[in-house]
Amino acid sequence: MSYLLPKLQTKKAVDQVIKTVAEKVLVLRFGRDPDPVCLQLDEILSKTAHDLSKMAAIYLVDVDNVPVYTRYFDISYIPSTVFFFNGQHMKVDYGSPDHTKFVGSFKTKQDFIDLIEVIFRGAMRGKLIVHSPIDPRNIPKYDLLYHDI
Amino acid sequence: MPCAHPRRQGALRLEKGEEISSLVLKAKDATDLSAPSARLVTRPLSFKAVGRRLMWRQTQGRAMGKQKAAFHCELCRRTFFSGRGHVYGLKHQETLRNILDNFLEKVRDARKVLKEARVERYDFTEHDQNFWCYCCKTEVKKHVTNGNIAVVYGGFLEHFESSEHKKKTSAFWWENKANIKLKDQFSLSPEDYEKFKAAVTKALESYEEKEDEYIKEGAERIREVEQQRRELVQAALEPQAEQSLDIGASEPGVSHQSHLSAYSSEEPGPSGLHFPFHSDDLKGQKLTFLGDKLLGFTTEKGNVHTGATPPWLIDDEEETGTAIGPSYEEFIQQKEKEKLRKLPPNRVGANFNHTSETDDSWLPSFGRVWNDGRRWQSRKQFRLEEGKKATRKRKRNDQNE
Repeated sequence: MSYLLPKLQTKKAVDQVIKTVAEKVLVLRFGRDPDPVCLQLDEILSKTAHDLSKMAAIYLVDVDNVPVYTRYFDISYIPSTVFFFNGQHMKVDYGSPDHTKFVGSFKTKQDFIDLIEVIFRGAMRGKLIVHSPIDPRNIPKYDLLYHDI
Repeated sequence: MPCAHPRRQGALRLEKGEEISSLVLKAKDATDLSAPSARLVTRPLSFKAVGRRLMWRQTQGRAMGKQKAAFHCELCRRTFFSGRGHVYGLKHQETLRNILDNFLEKVRDARKVLKEARVERYDFTEHDQNFWCYCCKTEVKKHVTNGNIAVVYGGFLEHFESSEHKKKTSAFWWENKANIKLKDQFSLSPEDYEKFKAAVTKALESYEEKEDEYIKEGAERIREVEQQRRELVQAALEPQAEQSLDIGASEPGVSHQSHLSAYSSEEPGPSGLHFPFHSDDLKGQKLTFLGDKLLGFTTEKGNVHTGATPPWLIDDEEETGTAIGPSYEEFIQQKEKEKLRKLPPNRVGANFNHTSETDDSWLPSFGRVWNDGRRWQSRKQFRLEEGKKATRKRKRNDQNE
C-alpha cells in the first residue's frame, strides 16, 4: 500500500517537508516498505489519508535512506510514526514509556483518525504534548531501549 | 455797598500808573489764590493760540466754501481728498523711502559699471530688459545693444545723464519732498558720462580682439576637421585609384575629381548622392552581403522603403506586466494570510518560518523521551553524540593506520 503515499528519499526532502507543511499535522512513518507491520500501517495510513487531508499530511520515510533522522529520532523499532505541527515535534502520551513516537501499527483506521484529531486540536491550543485517545489495549507494548540501558 | 463776589472782593483795582499787562498778572495771581470760582476767568489768549485759531477758521471756511482739489499720490497709488499735504505724511514718506531704496540699489549696480564698462555678446534674455525710472515715470532700456553686442547698463547711464531726467528728478524731489541729500545719486554728471564713454570704447576694442581670437580658433578647428576628412576620403579612394586602370592616374586626387565629374555629368539628380562608388567597387571591397531576405525586402513586414510599421511601434509579443492590481498568485497568498489570521495565535509553531533557508545539518525541533527540559537540548545532545561518534571513528582510523 506504500505506493499510494508520497515517499521521502533524502534527508533534504524530510527537512523540506517538516519546514513547509503548515497548519497541518505532519505524519512521518519511518520504516521499510516490505516489512509486514509497515504494510499494515501503510494500509491504514493510505486509506485515511484522504479523509484527513485537511488535518494531516502523511509521508513515508525509509529508515535506511535517512540514517541521521533514524538516529536523531531514536528509531529502534519499525514502523515508528512521528508527528510534527508547524515544524514542531508533537509528543503524545500513549501510556507507554516513549512519548516521542508511535511504535507499531494502529489497530483500526479510527484509532489513527482520533489520534490525528487530538494532535491537531492540541496543537491548535498550543499543546506540545497530548494524551492519546486510543484505547491502551490497542497500543502495542515495547520495551524502551535508550542508550543501551 | 458790600460786594459778595470774590472777584469784586479781590484787589483788582488799577492803581495809578499801572498798565493792562500788570492787570493781567494780577488777575492770574488772583485766580491762583482765590476760590474755585476764580477759574471761570477767561484767560487772555497768547499770540500763537490766536494765530492757530485764525488758521483753523480760514481752513474751515475754505472747506465749507469750495471743495479742495483731490490729490492722487502716484507713489501711494491712492487719492487723497485732504490735498497735497499728504506728501508730508509718515505713510507717504515711508513708501517714498522704500521706493528710493529699491531704486538706489539698481543705481548702485549701474554705477559699478561706470569705471569698468562691460561689453557682452547680445543675449535677448538678458539684454532686452527695461527699467522703470520713478522720476520720469517711463520705462527705459537698461542696456544699449545693436543686436550683436550689448553695453551693459549703457541705456541706464545714458538716461541718467540726460537733461530731461535731471529736470524730472528735480520735479520728483520737489513734489514728493524727498531727502535732498539723495538727489545727487539719481543723476549722472556729464564728466562721469564722458569717462564711461571712454571706458566703453576701450571695452569694445578688447571685446573685438577677443572675438577675433575666438573666430580664429574656430577657423582653425574647422580647418583641422576638413583636413581629417580629406585624409579619410583619400585613404578610401587610394585603392580604388590603383584599381581603376582606365584612368590610371598616379595621383589619387585627380582620379577622384575625374570620377566626380564623370558621375555628375552622367546622372542628374539630387546633390550629395554622387559618391564615386558603384556596385563593382563594393564587390571589389569584399563586403559581407546580408542578403535580401534578412534585410526584409521580400518579407511581408517590409522595411522603411515600403512604408512598414517602424519597429518601435510594433508591440512586443511577450506581455509586459501591465495588469492593474495584484496578480493571481499574490491574491492567493493574501487569502492564505487572512486564513492564518483566523487561527489561534498561540497554536504550536505559530511563528515558525516555513520559508527559511537551512543547510544540510539542520534538524527539526524534537523532544526526546524525557518530559522535562528544552526541546533544543535533544538536538544539542544529538549533535554531541554525533561528534563523539565521529571523533571515535577518527581515532579508530588513526589506530588502524
